Amino acid sequence: MASTEPWLQENGSVKRLTKESRHGHGHSRTAHNKSSSSLRRKSDMTLVSKVPCSTVRNFLANLQEVILGTKLSVLFVAIPFAIAAQYFGFARPWVFSLSLLGLIPLAERVSFLTEQIAFYTGPTVGGLLNASCGNATELIIAIFALKEKKVDVVKYSLLGSILSNLLLVLGTSLLCGGIANLSTEQKFDRKQADVNIALLLLGLLCHLLPLMYRTAAESTTADALSTAKATLNLSRASCIVMLIAYSAYLVFQLWTHRHIFEGPEEEDEDDMDVSNEETPVIGFWSGMIWLIGMTAVISLLSEYLVDTIEEASTSWGISVSFISIIVLPIVGNAAEHAGAIIFAFKNKLDITLGVALGSATQISVFVVPLSVIVAWIIGIKMDLDFNLLETGSLALTIIATAFTLQDGTSHYLKGVVLLLCYFVIGASFFVQISPTDPGTNSMNMRFKSSEQRIFRV
Amino acid sequence: MCIQPLLHSRSDTDRCRFRMFAANVGKVVFETRLLVLYPAIPMAFIAHYYRFNRPWIFGLSLIGLTPLAERLSFLTEQIAYFTGPTVGGLVNATCGNATELIIAMFALHKRKIHVLKYSLLGSIITNLLLVLGSSLLCGGIANRNKQQKFDHMQVDANTLLLLLGLLCHIAPLLFNLTSIDPPKLDRTSVLQLSRASSIVMLLAYVAYLFFQLKTHTQLFESQEDQHDDNDKETASIGFWSALIWLCLMTIIISVLSEYVVGTIEDASETWGISVSFISIILLPIVGNAAEHAGSVIFAFKNKLDISLGVAMGSASQILMFVVPLCVTMAWIMGINMSLDFGLLETGCLAFSIFLTAFTLQLLGHASLSNMFPLDPSKFEAAAAPVPVGASSSGATASAEMEQKKEDPEESSEDEGGLMGLFD
Repeated sequence: MASTEPWLQENGSVKRLTKESRHGHGHSRTAHNKSSSSLRRKSDMTLVSKVPCSTVRNFLANLQEVILGTKLSVLFVAIPFAIAAQYFGFARPWVFSLSLLGLIPLAERVSFLTEQIAFYTGPTVGGLLNASCGNATELIIAIFALKEKKVDVVKYSLLGSILSNLLLVLGTSLLCGGIANLSTEQKFDRKQADVNIALLLLGLLCHLLPLMYRTAAESTTADALSTAKATLNLSRASCIVMLIAYSAYLVFQLWTHRHIFEGPEEEDEDDMDVSNEETPVIGFWSGMIWLIGMTAVISLLSEYLVDTIEEASTSWGISVSFISIIVLPIVGNAAEHAGAIIFAFKNKLDITLGVALGSATQISVFVVPLSVIVAWIIGIKMDLDFNLLETGSLALTIIATAFTLQDGTSHYLKGVVLLLCYFVIGASFFVQISPTDPGTNSMNMRFKSSEQRIFRV
Repeated sequence: MCIQPLLHSRSDTDRCRFRMFAANVGKVVFETRLLVLYPAIPMAFIAHYYRFNRPWIFGLSLIGLTPLAERLSFLTEQIAYFTGPTVGGLVNATCGNATELIIAMFALHKRKIHVLKYSLLGSIITNLLLVLGSSLLCGGIANRNKQQKFDHMQVDANTLLLLLGLLCHIAPLLFNLTSIDPPKLDRTSVLQLSRASSIVMLLAYVAYLFFQLKTHTQLFESQEDQHDDNDKETASIGFWSALIWLCLMTIIISVLSEYVVGTIEDASETWGISVSFISIILLPIVGNAAEHAGSVIFAFKNKLDISLGVAMGSASQILMFVVPLCVTMAWIMGINMSLDFGLLETGCLAFSIFLTAFTLQLLGHASLSNMFPLDPSKFEAAAAPVPVGASSSGATASAEMEQKKEDPEESSEDEGGLMGLFD
């Protein structure tokens, strides 16, 4: 499809890619990758082209494109520091924060790589690839936390991702976009938002039912063990339903109703500082190898994160639930967040909504049930019963977002309200005080963890 | 009118000034339909000083508060003529809920936190359900042959604020419900959360004021210039006299509010109804009586924007301004007041907000607020694009179609089935 040395085609100076194509590529892929593309920058190949040996030159160019092709590349240095900190036994909170910092550019690079690979595989598979790997960081953190049997960290971090996408990313985007475009009226297409909200409501229902079932069963003093088993089975069945819904959503988005998701973007592609190239910058196999490598590094850092979360919470004096719900998702979503804000500034709200809502839907209806099923396979009892406060926050978030987006226009007050909702939810988790006992698995003794409830009997 | 030639005596000047003063007093005090309730005020004072039964003091104070609240809104309207629309709107908004604010401050001072919470909650629910409901009902009955429209942007902004306020109430409630520790140990966390949420709510209200009065005034002023066509642009009384009357009325309201808050338990025992019922239902009806009447009257005149602005604006002001202000004052005074209003109360608040939001959603999209949506005159009008005809329904329908042409976006978003007729 593309030559292996595209950078040598145009007078020795590189024409960078990331100009999203309109030749039938799904808008969902475009929206997601467009947001990250604003963080890319031109790679200056003049230095590399002076290297005489061609294979070494190719390799170095590849390296430069992948590692240095983003404005976040300065954070890459945190990765070796994190690994060193782990091996030399530095203070655990340092390992935690360095791993956090290192994850930010990695998440962005993974999305870049999936976009590159998608050029080779065609739009549909590309869309699928993006749909699965768009939130790879959250998925990997969840799987590692499951491995260490920290079910609460999994639940809180996934919930925090949904809240962060719906309130923080959307709120700051609408706020900045509203302030920057005070004189113009900001509109967006409702249909995309409606589809996403419908799926989010389905996910909310699947969370509410186990919660209500457990509350009702506890009040009638039924046998706690059988209640827990029933809740677990209900959760697992709901997860299968959610995955079916997600595959239906993918069929809808990438195949039958693609035109809804492809916004009117043909006319103003030139004001972005990207070229009109459709060719990818790196080869297919090099993309795959880089992807596998990056995923391995993400796994390593996630393992450090999950290991050291309690020590970090103790030494910083904030609860583990706050770290899981607020801090981790901000890190995982940082690149998308920046991109969404930039597009809101340019009054391209459809893309912003595609990023924020699409990500939230993906986590709610895909990553969460996938975690439950992985836990099922491993033999860990994870159910969909997030606690009352968390589920209540989620419900109000979805309702507030649905209400905000239902009329198809936007102004900065909407962004202010969503952002303030996020602050209130953050404050309510901030004031939870966790016990200083790093030896236990569950973090908040004041609140019944799902594990304790099941294993206590 | 008092420019007399110098040849006349001073008694004429005095008589002239007295006439002016009498006219002033007449305008302010006596030009109200609630005149009959005025005697309750001195009777309340007498009851307090001569130590009549406490329930009598309560009842008389309640009755006396009603005309005072109405006169207060009249005075603020007069002041608004002098200060311009922006500051005038702000003054109107604040003083519209002055009665609730004063009652709340007295309850806080006397450490009756439950009365405070219930009365504020009752104000919100009264505004959202009672005032709005009766306005829509009366307006719908009176205008059943016409189409009633309102602008949904203002309603949307208000509803967003209400949802944020609801979240700030639900978070401490869920916090208290889920903790397995005894509630006493949780008090600090819930208090901190409530205080932080109060600051958030005040910030949101300031942003809303900025939005309403500064950057997006065009959304809120669409109907304002229509409703003043029967009022003259000049005020009836002078600025300083209005201000003096305002202070005077506020002092009397404060005294009566103190009586009300002091005697509420005795009244509840004697009358056999709970304090919470009195606080949630009776007190807000009294405090909101003037706004209620005004809202219904504007709905009669088919000016729904103003009715909605009054009702929802008042509700969001109490929820996002008065409640966090009370929490902050309690913080300063050292009283432990949290935003946890109890499960039943918060549930009622949540459902009120959702019900109002969805009702106005449906109405805003269908642009119909009459009770009989299948009015046959509308079907005929849809078939006649040119406005011909002497029948009032025909003329009205053509006016609707003119509006539809000017507002293509709204018709494209309409999902009510009837709107397809007008395309």
